[in-house]
Amino acid sequence: MGEPRVRRVKPVAASEARWWLWLRITGLLMVLVLFPHVIVKDVLVGVYRIDLEYVAQVWANPLMRVFDFALLFLTFTHGMVGLRQVLQDFIHTPSGRRAMTWVLFVVWAVVSLMGAVAIIGGVKLT
Amino acid sequence: MSDPKTALQGYVRYRAVGQVAFLLHRLTGLGVLFFLIIHIVDTAFVYFVPELYEHAIQLYRSLPFMIGEIFLVWAVFYHGLNGLRIIIFDLWKPEWWEREFAIKSVYWVLVISVLLWLPAAFTMAKHAIEYYSGG
Repeated sequence: MGEPRVRRVKPVAASEARWWLWLRITGLLMVLVLFPHVIVKDVLVGVYRIDLEYVAQVWANPLMRVFDFALLFLTFTHGMVGLRQVLQDFIHTPSGRRAMTWVLFVVWAVVSLMGAVAIIGGVKLT
Repeated sequence: MSDPKTALQGYVRYRAVGQVAFLLHRLTGLGVLFFLIIHIVDTAFVYFVPELYEHAIQLYRSLPFMIGEIFLVWAVFYHGLNGLRIIIFDLWKPEWWEREFAIKSVYWVLVISVLLWLPAAFTMAKHAIEYYSGG
């Protein structure tokens, strides 16, 4: 009997625990913004009744802009972190994962910025 | 990159109904994210290109989309409720991951998501019928 055999496992990076927790925190908060958004716009109002004037009316209330900002940030970060989680099942190399995270980050930043600028800029009624 | 076929087979052949919940969670999540990206961009049109916003909404008024939207709402309900189940189990009640209870909870989430969805689906279908019969 020589040295006892020790199974060495590379621990998962601490950052993975933060991604994991982030999905749960945003998931909880989204109950407050996404369910109301879907129930009001898709079910009660009906998307077919929405037009530029409707959006302008909603955003006339600054609180609704804050609400939509929270909606944009929470849902989209949750979605992109979730997509990263799914892709990790298909991409295993550290370099591949790093590249994937960067691509997702760029898409997240560009689309979020578009949404944020529109919420701040408001409707351009022609 | 692992063989996608192997990964997909793992999804459906592994364990009990919890695996179905997992698969549905991923599929609804990916589907909703796909729509979300389109939706953020089309909403941004109200500022960047207002004429295109009207065009996008016109597409949303088409019958295929109005029908798809009804299923999109179920996807959001299911993903949200199943997500809440996972959050509660993970963060506060890890003992609820015990096999029998966890399996039961999957069926509960499916039932509740459909029960909450039915009145929503009914209202949306009514809207679509009214809209297409010139109401």
